[in-house]
Amino acid sequence: MNGEEPELRRALEGRSGSPSPEFRARLASALGAGRPVASSTPRLALAGAVILAVAVVGVLLMARQGGGRIAPLPGSASGPRIVATPTPAGCTFCPIAMPTYAQLSAPSDNVVWVLVQDEYLARSTDRGADWERRPLPTWSGQTPPLEMSFIDDHEGWLLAVGDQIGACRSQTFALAHTTDAGATWTQLDVKGIPEEHCKDGVSFADSQRGFVNVWDESHLPVIYRTTDGGRTWTASAPLPNPPGFKITDTGGPLQPGTVRAFGSILLLPALGQVSGAPMQYVFSSTDGGKTWSYLAGVPVNGALAFKASTQWFQLGGSDEAIETTDSGKTWQDYASDYQQAAGVAPSVVFADPLVGYATVRGGIARTVDGGHHWVWITTPGTGVTPVGG
Amino acid sequence: MEPVSEDQSSDQLRRRALAGDGYAFGELIGPVLDPAFRLAMTMLKDRATAEDTVQEAAFKAWRKLDRFRPGSEVRPWFLAIVANECRSMRRSRWWVMRSNGPFSPPAKVQRDWADRIDLDAALDRLPKHHLLALTLYYHLDLPIEEVSRVLGCSPGAARVRLHRAIAALRPGLVTEVGR
Repeated sequence: MNGEEPELRRALEGRSGSPSPEFRARLASALGAGRPVASSTPRLALAGAVILAVAVVGVLLMARQGGGRIAPLPGSASGPRIVATPTPAGCTFCPIAMPTYAQLSAPSDNVVWVLVQDEYLARSTDRGADWERRPLPTWSGQTPPLEMSFIDDHEGWLLAVGDQIGACRSQTFALAHTTDAGATWTQLDVKGIPEEHCKDGVSFADSQRGFVNVWDESHLPVIYRTTDGGRTWTASAPLPNPPGFKITDTGGPLQPGTVRAFGSILLLPALGQVSGAPMQYVFSSTDGGKTWSYLAGVPVNGALAFKASTQWFQLGGSDEAIETTDSGKTWQDYASDYQQAAGVAPSVVFADPLVGYATVRGGIARTVDGGHHWVWITTPGTGVTPVGG
Repeated sequence: MEPVSEDQSSDQLRRRALAGDGYAFGELIGPVLDPAFRLAMTMLKDRATAEDTVQEAAFKAWRKLDRFRPGSEVRPWFLAIVANECRSMRRSRWWVMRSNGPFSPPAKVQRDWADRIDLDAALDRLPKHHLLALTLYYHLDLPIEEVSRVLGCSPGAARVRLHRAIAALRPGLVTEVGR
């Protein structure tokens, strides 16, 4: 490096910064509130003996009871593994501190699921007016990062991933399935998905058809598909390089989002970089996910959501909204009263062209008119009810 | 009263944190909060995102505290968790969205960026594992042994990674220097 080293140090310093006193105070306060109760080490100390008993003795006992509560081992012994599926009864849970993060799954116009901070799963059958906490599996070791996909008010899947090794060189994972709204979770004996590369974007279109992304920073993503509810998986052909984008060793990754099915048409958003500038693309498949083709480029100043196969919606971090009704060929401004304090784009899902939800930093907003008007609703598990929510 | 060594103090804090004392955990990671935040800032280039990332890393570290061996150094352990959280944040749609400007067609974007090549852009283009290695060594000034612990590899492998990172960065540097 020699002569270039001071330049590099200055460039790195220019990107850097020190934590503000306000942040230090906020972090100290949040830690003092003891946020990670559901999977925290303090709780583990108490539950350690219970978990051990479940893992060693309970396996046989519960298996004999035929409840299917103890799942088979995943592909890797070091990967996430369910050891029990407790019911909410008797659970103690401190409210999750805001801001936090939440995932949404909206399988129909009335049903919506939320997973808050990977710790608190809740279901609503009235568009988020009322929430019912539903059980999550208890995992071997610490609670892994989770993704969820529900197809109705009782059937869904959880994708649990282990730590990345290298830059997405490999990542263990597990897939859990419930047909009774989480009362019991069964870890599927997944075949076909390799341990190499990162996994995310679990999405099920119905009880049989599902998708999981497998990708890393230097390869074009492959979308694995299942037609038997998640047990066996087959790789798609890699996504093609979209126009202007070419994945290289020194380029950014092409990061797939979540597959959305509209009948036989599958849509998949993906994010990439062209010369350092972020780009967003949509791919489509009409052969069940065997092959994917580039469909359109998308404005990247917001989060994309599909209302219908040709009707796409986007909310930006500055609360602006746009929509296309011709699969991204043209975009129009969309009148929306969506507002948020955080200057970042929310994640948005639509159950149908009218009913949708947006979440940012743990807050949840709902629209029932396609995104023109939004109302903030309660985020379950946080003890926070928005004003007017 | 017997003086309490740094190791003893750290171990006491660890025990208290394991027992559920969040303030003790805050004290445990307090001395390494500054390098953790600077790492997140360098990787993510956004203060709000870096704050969220470090906060989330802190809670994940607390959850994983039972894996932290008594007598081990807090800094490489916590920085490794922050680095992993930065990778997760960079992968997330949220991070990409907040770093975006208005949409432009690909050809125009390419022209604009070709005109704006600088070292910072070269760092942006680096694979993130390269950026992480450079940040740990050249910005946080960690010794190579500690860099290797954060990266989860041997010191020799860490040196190789740094060498590759600089090699990958050099075309950008050359372009910058030549302007």
